[in-house]
Amino acid sequence: MDLLISSLSLGLLWSIMAIGVYLTFRILDIADMTAEGSFPLGAAITARQIVAGVNPWVATLSGFLAGCLAGLISGFMHTKLKIPALLTGILTLTGLYSVNLLIMGQSNISLLGRVKTVISLLPDMSTSSAAILIGVVVLALVIGLLVVFFNTEVGLAARAVGNNEEMSAANGINADNMKIIIYMISNGLIALAGSLMAQINGYADSSMGIGTIVIALAAIIIAEVLVANLSFGMRLVTIVGGAIIYRLIIALVLQWGVDPNNLRLFYALMLALFLSVPLLQKRIGQRRRRQKNIAEMEADQDD
Amino acid sequence: MTNALELRKLHQFFNQGTVNERHVLKGIDLKLAPGEFVAVIGGNGAGKSTLLNSIAGSLPVDQGQIKIEGEDVTYETVAKRARLIGRVFQDPQMGTAPLLTVEENLSLALLRGQKRNCWSFGVKKKQRQFLQEQLALLNLGLEDRLSAEIGLLSGGQRQAITLLMATLQNPALLLLDEHTAALDPQTSQIVMTLTAQLVAEKQLTTLMITHNMADALKFGNRLIMLDQGQIAIDVAGAEKAQLTVPDLLALFKHKSGQDLTDDRVLLS
Ligand SMILES: Nc1ncnc2c1ncn2[C@@H]1O[C@H](COP(=O)(O)OP(=O)(O)OP(=O)(O)O)[C@@H](O)[C@H]1O
Ligand SMILES: [Mg+2]
Repeated sequence: MDLLISSLSLGLLWSIMAIGVYLTFRILDIADMTAEGSFPLGAAITARQIVAGVNPWVATLSGFLAGCLAGLISGFMHTKLKIPALLTGILTLTGLYSVNLLIMGQSNISLLGRVKTVISLLPDMSTSSAAILIGVVVLALVIGLLVVFFNTEVGLAARAVGNNEEMSAANGINADNMKIIIYMISNGLIALAGSLMAQINGYADSSMGIGTIVIALAAIIIAEVLVANLSFGMRLVTIVGGAIIYRLIIALVLQWGVDPNNLRLFYALMLALFLSVPLLQKRIGQRRRRQKNIAEMEADQDD
Repeated sequence: MTNALELRKLHQFFNQGTVNERHVLKGIDLKLAPGEFVAVIGGNGAGKSTLLNSIAGSLPVDQGQIKIEGEDVTYETVAKRARLIGRVFQDPQMGTAPLLTVEENLSLALLRGQKRNCWSFGVKKKQRQFLQEQLALLNLGLEDRLSAEIGLLSGGQRQAITLLMATLQNPALLLLDEHTAALDPQTSQIVMTLTAQLVAEKQLTTLMITHNMADALKFGNRLIMLDQGQIAIDVAGAEKAQLTVPDLLALFKHKSGQDLTDDRVLLS
């Protein structure tokens, strides 16, 4: 039971980050490494402000905005300076490592004790139920706003850019600007997840971003493998499911006695496996059809 | 009256400054009056697509000048120029966003040349009827398929929709680069007829590249032939109306000193 609840609370948080990654990954077809820097950036900004006594929700919003700024930088380098997307992400991520240390002034900040976080604002609840409540509310808001945004004039144009850049330009859409907008929203959400994570775990750490992109992609792929072809809004909802399932698998593995030091190796192996599932499914289906065909052809010959 | 399009000493090079340098457009001068419908013909590699791409902005120009409705657009990006230009590509995949619905694609085109904002929906309910009426004009039964993903439609249907998208906002200039070449002969004729109908109805100034000599003679009120990056033939009005395919071939030979070399030319 504990395992379920903790997986649920962490999975909900991860899904905010996974939704962020989904925007660049599926709309722009870019695996944006900036994620690994914007996640701890959100945590760092929020932790620093909370320690200074800022209202935790304001501190959380600052984390989101800082992530948008990180996205702006990556987006600018990718579109205006034409630096390949993978490299852009690595550049921003590397720079952010120092920035995060600068913000925190040390490699980690503890949020335990008297400081107010979004969790401690809900006094009569255990940390995990507060985390679940906050996760659900924030996710509902995020998904709702994203669905609305991607149906506005600008949002529709942004989707068109990801889908067919040539056609977008011919219809007067500035592809660079649309890409930058997506980069910003994406990294804002990832930083928001980092900000909430710091408050739930009770600390921000400069190395907490490692593995972000792998976890997020795993959640996305699980969602896509389990349910194919969905509308944008439904896809976001399934990503929440994907993240929770993924967290549950990992919790089980940890309980099973895998050394936490080996966890990231496990993340990587799992994602490699998930990424190959669609191909495996196709191969298996093909083999079945062929065997069926061979059997039919042989039966035909016997007649 | 201002020209719908004016090209002055337009040059285009590929691989400039290298041993592979190719001088593809060699000082094109061209003026189109509003409402002129020009068929553009010429052999393989004559520079027809290069000309249209330069006008549309997908090939940057650094020698010469391009004016549309009197506005100098020589250094504007494709997206910026799009307020003045409607465009249909040869590849039916290129003109529409496959994962968006028919209605979403058309709505995108309705906002061509306008500022897009975050406080109104991209697809507007009150425009639905208008879009349906426009689709009905295509006579392809597409008016009931507003919410179908465009990627699921046939090449001909997609091309017809692209044509509609390019003309919805009455562009100052319509550019068609062999827009029927990838379609089967029957669909090709349907799209060609639609083109003529839309161009006539909206009085659109049009440049249409075609490899079909008969179409080039049948449609439009002016014809230009490109040869090695220059305009070799330019006929309009009654003079064009009298031309036959053999006349055209003879004229080409006379001007360029050789037979029209074109692996895809359609003489029928
Ligand atoms: N990107 C490019 N790089 C180098 N050369 C190019 C490029 N694009 C076109 N060319 C060359 O420019 C010349 C003109 O090409 P263009 O595509 O304009 O011809 P076209 O008249 O449209 O021919 P077609 O009828 O075959 O479509 C050709 O010789 C072509 O090889
Ligand atoms: Mg061509």
